[in-house]
Amino acid sequence: MSAPTTMSSLTAPRGSRRVTDVVVRGLVYLSGVIAVVPLVWILITIISKGLPVILSAAWWTQDLAGTTDRRAGGGALHAIIGTLEIGLITAVVAVPIAVLGAIFLIEYARGTRLARGVSFMVDILSGIPSIVAALFVFAFLITILHFDRSAIAAALSLVLLMLPTVLRSTEEMLKLVPDSLREAAYALGIPKWRTILTVVIPTAFSGIATGVVLGLARVMGETAPLLILVAYARNLYLSPTSDTMATLPTMINTGRDVAETLAGYDRVWGAALTLILLVMGLNLLARWIARAGRLKDR
Amino acid sequence: MTMTVKSKLAAAAALSALSLAACSSTSATTGSTAASSAAPAALACPAGQITAEGSSAQSNAIQEAIAAYNDACKNKAKIEYNPTGSGAGIKNFNAGLVDFAGSDSSLKTDEATAAKARCKTNDAWNLPMVVGPIAFSYNLKGVDKLVLNADVLAKIFQGQITTWNDPAIAALNSGVSLPSDKIVVFYRSDESGTTENVSKYLKATAPSVWTPDTSKAWKGVGGEGKNKSSGVAEAVKATSGSLGYMEWSYARDNKLGIAQINTGSAAVELNSGSVGKALEAATITGTGNDLALKLDYATKAAGAYPAVLVTYEIVCSAGLDTAKSAIVKDFLSYFASQEGQAGLESLGYAPLPTSLRTKVASAVQAIK
Repeated sequence: MSAPTTMSSLTAPRGSRRVTDVVVRGLVYLSGVIAVVPLVWILITIISKGLPVILSAAWWTQDLAGTTDRRAGGGALHAIIGTLEIGLITAVVAVPIAVLGAIFLIEYARGTRLARGVSFMVDILSGIPSIVAALFVFAFLITILHFDRSAIAAALSLVLLMLPTVLRSTEEMLKLVPDSLREAAYALGIPKWRTILTVVIPTAFSGIATGVVLGLARVMGETAPLLILVAYARNLYLSPTSDTMATLPTMINTGRDVAETLAGYDRVWGAALTLILLVMGLNLLARWIARAGRLKDR
Repeated sequence: MTMTVKSKLAAAAALSALSLAACSSTSATTGSTAASSAAPAALACPAGQITAEGSSAQSNAIQEAIAAYNDACKNKAKIEYNPTGSGAGIKNFNAGLVDFAGSDSSLKTDEATAAKARCKTNDAWNLPMVVGPIAFSYNLKGVDKLVLNADVLAKIFQGQITTWNDPAIAALNSGVSLPSDKIVVFYRSDESGTTENVSKYLKATAPSVWTPDTSKAWKGVGGEGKNKSSGVAEAVKATSGSLGYMEWSYARDNKLGIAQINTGSAAVELNSGSVGKALEAATITGTGNDLALKLDYATKAAGAYPAVLVTYEIVCSAGLDTAKSAIVKDFLSYFASQEGQAGLESLGYAPLPTSLRTKVASAVQAIK
């Protein structure tokens, strides 16, 4: 901007450097503010429009049976339960595979060609768009095997998205466990499997748990697999094999073209705020686990 | 709003109390509405769960019908309707993923073949259930009444008429001071049954101006695309001098001005009566209980509003799981009953004319 090319700037370097300093500092600060603006804007909009909706007790205790976009009342219980249930199924399937996979890669196959191959594949898997994971499950389970759509099918496609995240983070955590700990255990004559179970995993536990919770938070906001693999519902369904189950992202998607004057419009903001709270809660939980783990180490 | 819902519920309660003790609701007053209904729906209220999917044009109507049916049956059955679009509805119905489909157009030959396979070699029926008139909504300050006709609409959508004070528009609106503003046209950017019906209407009534084929994708000249009916409605609401087409319910929900249509003799206002007259001009092309309709968009019948969209429920005549079939039948018999249709007008739909409604009701009764 004020590069020292002219005669005057050469004779007065102090001044020009000062200007550069101020300008650049201003730009850096401005970039920082710009980065925060969308977040604050989104939060203010969603909280101001969604808060009145979620403050009612009915929001947390009722589903939408007997209501329409015009009829007020009802709540998001069906979608909250659906999101949590699908998230839970996803975690139950993905976490053991991811953690055991990471243990294999770090403890048993470290440095081998197989491990490098698997790591590479996992990296590719983490780059797969959610819609492709959803279509893969749809093609496999529904088109080829003729299963019905179900919450489980949706959870399975989310597993494909959660698996690489958790596997990679677990791998990093296991790498951080010092080899001296393992060697000390071997020196005491403890077999390898017990070393992993009683020394390596407990040491890395808080890191692994943080990775799991962050992975869960990431998949809970996913929409594409839920659109394709399980139909949205206005009633509460608990069975994981049910072909209709509401989730917060699909509740938002279904309600987004409701006219502004109707009750259904407010519910969309309520659902958006609820989803943000849920994901934010998981992120806070992850931080808490990480901090608790660090304290224990000391 | 609450008043109309309440009074409708009272009517439904009265009818169900008369017809079936098992389903009677509270506070029934005898005889107030029963006389008008030829065949009151005797609701069996089976328990269970069904899923339907399809046309978003009928979404508001079927949501309301489901809620009213649930009120009458005390939530014994869970009925889901997902407004994902006619194409998705038919596809998922034919794949056996949903129990009936909602569609803006009747099944095409290849779709009907696939549907027959899905219904275990029984025919699938098209049952016209919801009539959604198409509103041509405008945003012009100070103009409360605007009259257009098919020729002018086609010219506007083809970019041949670009200002509001064009002589062709002025000729239809004597005594109205029209501004010299440009006409801002909004259309549906997504593929839609509404677009298809608008193009069919214009093709039938102004073939020399509307030269493109009829299609789900918009083939007009100029204008700006918006996603879904809600997008078009919001754009018209926000833009002065704009014109767009959408289902009547969206125009009403957003409190937009709705153009009257001159079909030759006089300007016709969009209301349930004028839509009913247009439907009387329609012919049934299906056979037996298949009630696929062919609309006469070029109708010159006095007081008939020609731009109408009929949405169907596509059902298996037989072959569906017995428990699910019982709910489909019971729910649709409520939907096709007088009280099921009566609540539609306040939502921006028109009730089926009685002659057609009784045919639909008897077709529903014939579902096995």
